[in-house]
Amino acid sequence: MSVALRAVDVTRRFGHFTAVDSVTMEVQPGEVVGLLGANGAGKTTLMRMLLGLLPTSAGDVEMLGGPPNRDRRRRVGYVPQNLGLYRDMTLAENLAFVCDTYGTPVPALPDGLEPYARTLVAEMPLGAQRQAAFVAALSHGPELVLLDEPTSGVDALARAALWDTIRGQSDEGVGVLVTTHYMQEAQQCDRLLLMSRGRLVAQGSEADIIGDTRALAVRTDDWAATFAALNAADAPVILDGRSVRVADLAQSDVEGILRGAGLHATVEAVPATIEERMLVLARADARAD
Amino acid sequence: MIVKEFRELVRDRRTVGLLVALPLILLVVFGYAANFYVDHAEAAVVGPDAAKVAGQLPDFFDVTTTDASATEQDARDMLRDDEVDVVFVTSEAGVKALVDGSNLFAAQSIVAGLNSMGDKVTTEVLYNPDLTTSWVMIPAIIGLILTFIGTIVTSIGLVRERESGTIEQLAVMPIKPSTVILGKITPYFILAAIDMVIVTVLGMLLFDVPFNGNVLTFALGAAIFLFVVLGIGVFISTISQTAGQAIQTAFFILMPQILLSGMIFPLEAMAAGVRWIGYLLPLTYFTMISQGVMLRGAPIASLWLPFVVLTVMAVVVFTAATLRFRRDLAPERKPSKRAGGAA
Repeated sequence: MSVALRAVDVTRRFGHFTAVDSVTMEVQPGEVVGLLGANGAGKTTLMRMLLGLLPTSAGDVEMLGGPPNRDRRRRVGYVPQNLGLYRDMTLAENLAFVCDTYGTPVPALPDGLEPYARTLVAEMPLGAQRQAAFVAALSHGPELVLLDEPTSGVDALARAALWDTIRGQSDEGVGVLVTTHYMQEAQQCDRLLLMSRGRLVAQGSEADIIGDTRALAVRTDDWAATFAALNAADAPVILDGRSVRVADLAQSDVEGILRGAGLHATVEAVPATIEERMLVLARADARAD
Repeated sequence: MIVKEFRELVRDRRTVGLLVALPLILLVVFGYAANFYVDHAEAAVVGPDAAKVAGQLPDFFDVTTTDASATEQDARDMLRDDEVDVVFVTSEAGVKALVDGSNLFAAQSIVAGLNSMGDKVTTEVLYNPDLTTSWVMIPAIIGLILTFIGTIVTSIGLVRERESGTIEQLAVMPIKPSTVILGKITPYFILAAIDMVIVTVLGMLLFDVPFNGNVLTFALGAAIFLFVVLGIGVFISTISQTAGQAIQTAFFILMPQILLSGMIFPLEAMAAGVRWIGYLLPLTYFTMISQGVMLRGAPIASLWLPFVVLTVMAVVVFTAATLRFRRDLAPERKPSKRAGGAA
């Protein structure tokens, strides 16, 4: 089976600003690929080029066997960040419009959406809106699905339901490219692409990307003061609940900062998370400039 | 708070533009254009004593045609075709002035001038015998309503698609850009046409405005004019990110049409520099058509100038606007140099 989506050295410049810089990537049928990166990393710009909605400044895109065009986009499902639903139309009216455009029958609504059939989209909860955008995007049986921040702003339960839908699509052989800045969602993907400042800085499975990267877990009774001291020293510190962690800094440096601040804490090297690995890669990328 | 407000204001270029341009426009308009008094009238003199009478007329009358062989019917045709403001018909019975009442302010000045000449001239005001303001205003207001729907309502409707992000979804869907544009514009075209019919009929019923001409000529003029204003509306939507910006821009375009199209202040009374702005505005030409057809019963042949100008405007504006709108639906072949879009 041919590749669902491929980009080769794709670049996009806006004047002097390079939003996407020589990105090469691909999505196979049945594969869920996560495009991770902080806000402004270039994820949405890359996705718009992959769809053919934004021309590339350099490089080539192949979508479902050829350059992205209207005929091939017909075989693609797309959920943009802002969902692409008409907020002053009901859910049923939105679905009718989409299905009429694609010439497909209107699908049955999932149980969770049934009560909202005659509700204006603007009046639906965000989780239901996102679910509705999925239903609309998948109604024509696409072979490739592109999802831009599909779970942004929804609660954990709704997020899990949306990921069930994504995995269901990949099980049916649909290639899925999903952007997110929720690092926890990385575990749901078969493969990850990490972007920083327009560049692809790593790719592979979560384990591949993290590798043997270590982070420092700082155990302390005064997490607020510890965080403040490390942050003031410009250390790459992450606060996860009440737990303070530091990436990309030597243990002795961290201990020195805390000693200087008069704080008592134990510092232990632990396996890094994907978010911490991302931080390390982003800092390395910045230093390379 | 005050500093914050100034900072926001300065960075909102359209509002700054409005703050700077509005006083200037109002100053220019009310300084040079706001004048109801017409200081000269174009006149023709016909009949056996045409040359003699033409020589005796006060300077107020700018005699452009003198024709001894022309009849009173020829004189009426000249007024219907808007060739002059007044025709003096000479005969053995005396001199009769036929005045074009559809050109209200010129007619008022002419009638005042004729009255000062005493009994030497008998006066007949055609098309608007009582010089009723509403008769002249209603045909122009029809154009104003079409302009309002075409620019403000259309641009808001289109920009809403951009604001909500659905325009990107449309670009992904298997719909041709031309179909999207047609689908977006047709409802506004129909709504504007319905509004036009309602206002025209109400104007006739409530204000006794006559409809002396051909309905098809009027409808054709309105349809061409609608394409111009819809084109302006589409264009505004392509340079606006929000409904607020669209309204501001449409206001910029709407205000000169109200003030300088001859709808309120007569074009003939404006200073030459300002008058030419009026001649660049589509409402000026629609008003010529609507007043010509409704009041004077002018045939399409005598309205060729406004028809040609509006058609050229429609082709240019509508093509430019749809090409720009199309860019949002179909990617450019070469990258844009515009900033933005990065995420």
